[in-house]
Amino acid sequence: MKPAEKEEESVYKRVVLKNASPYQYMKICLVLEDESTRLSAVELKLFIISGLRNLYGEVGAALNFDLLKYDEDTLTAFLRVTSRGLVKLWSSLTLLGSYQNQACAFRVLQVSSFLLSLTGNSRDLQLD
Amino acid sequence: MVRVKSRYLLCEVNVSDRSSLLLLDDRAVAATVKSVVARTHGDYGAAMCTIGFSVKYLNAHTGIVLLRFPKRCYRLLWSALPFITSIETRGQKIPCFLNCLHVGGTIRTCQKFLIRYNTQQLHRMLPRCKNEEEKQQIRKAILSCSLTIGKREAFEDEAESEEDEDE
Repeated sequence: MKPAEKEEESVYKRVVLKNASPYQYMKICLVLEDESTRLSAVELKLFIISGLRNLYGEVGAALNFDLLKYDEDTLTAFLRVTSRGLVKLWSSLTLLGSYQNQACAFRVLQVSSFLLSLTGNSRDLQLD
Repeated sequence: MVRVKSRYLLCEVNVSDRSSLLLLDDRAVAATVKSVVARTHGDYGAAMCTIGFSVKYLNAHTGIVLLRFPKRCYRLLWSALPFITSIETRGQKIPCFLNCLHVGGTIRTCQKFLIRYNTQQLHRMLPRCKNEEEKQQIRKAILSCSLTIGKREAFEDEAESEEDEDE
């Protein structure tokens, strides 16, 4: 879905998937007790994998997921995961309760099978 | 009334040294399976393994184990079994692996399968006897063991005596 070349007629492209979509995208936010803690992207991914390993063992730790984009200031990240692994990833994120001996929580902000859907959130639309 | 359903996995313990089989006991096997499941499937797998899992039967002489798993998650737990490389019992580590022979819904079908399997094995091994005398000896041994050994060995004996009639 490219941006419309002519600005006048905004082009909508309809995407129809005949099978279940291969990937699911998640927008998550990490909330830490001590807000000054910094996390790099690698540390975040390692943290998520350690959570998967705790809950689902070595099989779970082998789950394929990608950290597409990560904002260090707001601790917000976009994850891409195969559809079959969504439940596993989500549940292990929920059960992650502590990072380096401080309480933490993952807030799952949005989940969608299209990355584009994560650009806007219908929940914080400002309607006049 | 609804029955609690489970799956029974009939497995064979393969060891390099057959005498070490006698050291096995069901608690050691259960502990090994539980630890392996916890390693490969984490807390989720370990939780699956707590209810409805048990070692129903262990024949230390032939190395046959009957494991009971809840039906809804037996595939998950089954997938962890190949990762067993050793069983620790009485302070000794026995290197071994489990070979699954049969998956059944009841103990009865597993028993039937085991009888048939043992008959087959005996059929396979009998031609290796060098002379008639050896065959007679085996026959005698089979008959005598079915008389002396108690109920727990009933599985094997039934199989072997059946085979005896066939001859």
